[in-house]
Amino acid sequence: MHRMKKSHALAPAGLLLVMPLVMGLSGCHPEGAKKTLPGEELYAACKSCHGIDGSGQQNIAAPAIAGLPAWYVEAQLVKFRTGVRGAHPDDFEGLRMRPMSQQMMDTGEVKAVSAYVATMAPKKTAPTVQGGDAAAGAAAYGVCLACHGPDGKGNQQLNAPPIAGQHDWYLVSQLKKFKSGIRGTNPKDITGGQMRPMSMTLADEQAMRTWWPTSTPWRSEADPHGRRYEPRCALHDDLHPHRGGRRRLLRGGVLLRPEVT
Amino acid sequence: MISKYVESASSFSGEIDHLIWLITAIVGFWFVLAEVVFFYLIIRYTAQDGVKAQYIAGDDPKEKRWVGWPHYLTLGFDVWIIIAAIQVWQNVKQTMPQADATVRVIAQQWAWTFVHPGADGKLDTPDDIRVVDELHVEKGKTYHFELQSRDVLHSFSVPVFRLKQDIIPGRTIRGWFKATQTGGFDVQCTEICGIGHALMPARIIIESHEDHAAWVMSQTPQSASLTVPATQVGGMP
Repeated sequence: MHRMKKSHALAPAGLLLVMPLVMGLSGCHPEGAKKTLPGEELYAACKSCHGIDGSGQQNIAAPAIAGLPAWYVEAQLVKFRTGVRGAHPDDFEGLRMRPMSQQMMDTGEVKAVSAYVATMAPKKTAPTVQGGDAAAGAAAYGVCLACHGPDGKGNQQLNAPPIAGQHDWYLVSQLKKFKSGIRGTNPKDITGGQMRPMSMTLADEQAMRTWWPTSTPWRSEADPHGRRYEPRCALHDDLHPHRGGRRRLLRGGVLLRPEVT
Repeated sequence: MISKYVESASSFSGEIDHLIWLITAIVGFWFVLAEVVFFYLIIRYTAQDGVKAQYIAGDDPKEKRWVGWPHYLTLGFDVWIIIAAIQVWQNVKQTMPQADATVRVIAQQWAWTFVHPGADGKLDTPDDIRVVDELHVEKGKTYHFELQSRDVLHSFSVPVFRLKQDIIPGRTIRGWFKATQTGGFDVQCTEICGIGHALMPARIIIESHEDHAAWVMSQTPQSASLTVPATQVGGMP
């Protein structure tokens, strides 16, 4: 009888000893003790599509994300996680991104991975979109200037992301999605809702093809590796007398890409 | 018994549960019996000092029947299982009852798009209702489903229906189900379909006639021309 009482008395103590072990093994943490993984570690969930260097992959429609500002990456991850973006039945790529974004378990992880992506050095992107009318494109980009800036560097105050340096095929696909209502029609997508009418100013697919930034990466300040990039937007360059606009060649209405230096 | 752990919510889930029980009982009986005999013989005839082991070739019919009879019985029970399984297969997979409605299930990495008929009860009309990751059906109605994939192999699985069917890109695979109780249940992909395979759950919502009619009315698109089909949005030439 005495032994039984002793064992009962020891039971809570034993439980206290065992619980941390069980919780540790099961990945549970007491409230407040959970540690957010570093962004670099969290990025492991992204690299199979966006690449180790964040340069994206056209064959799976994953855009370049390296060097994008943290505020923009975070905003898009939140949109994907909450179904504000990437939940339209016709958004084939968005539907693929939505569950991936849910691998970030909470706001802390979203912020951490966004901050890491922002520190990644952007890569040069190769041009893929063929054809286009430079004059028409220059006029079309006039609508974009106000938000995305003359250099395509974006403007956080207006929630406009950098677009110079992004893959041209990605920009075309997003313009088409905005225009068709696949993106930017969710009532909670405030910024997408702002972008959609802008895309409607592009009359047709030909008009979208004429518009693209150069393949120069978007980062304007010296990156962590000491390189310095000059963000440029092709069509703005056409209008800009100091940026080699004159060097562009127009042959039969087709804009030839300048060489990226 | 199985429905105590995973609810039984289709007209054929009971048949499948019965088949699982039949297989479990037959295989379980033989497993337990074989283990009992096995351990009895090990203990009864364990090595003893001074007792020489015998070499048994199995030539004596009295000895051979220890192998022969269980063998014939196993074959007999196999035939029993096969007949029962073919009956269920015939009822569930080979027979297509008349459909009250048809839904289209489109799988992709890593989401489901369910296309429901609108108020007209027909697919491929302007009032079709397309919903991501949520399938709405009516209790007591026989549905045909059309499975399609946008990319790779997937498998449409509704555990409460005891339904599982692979989806093959480039083909439309048809089947049927009839829900027998209302509620919300899981839909899973049960074919490894890429890095996000585990992240493509969906729900099936089984509603009463009134609730389903109200849902259809609330979801019927205001204008079918607001969006263009995915085929017109896809890759750049």
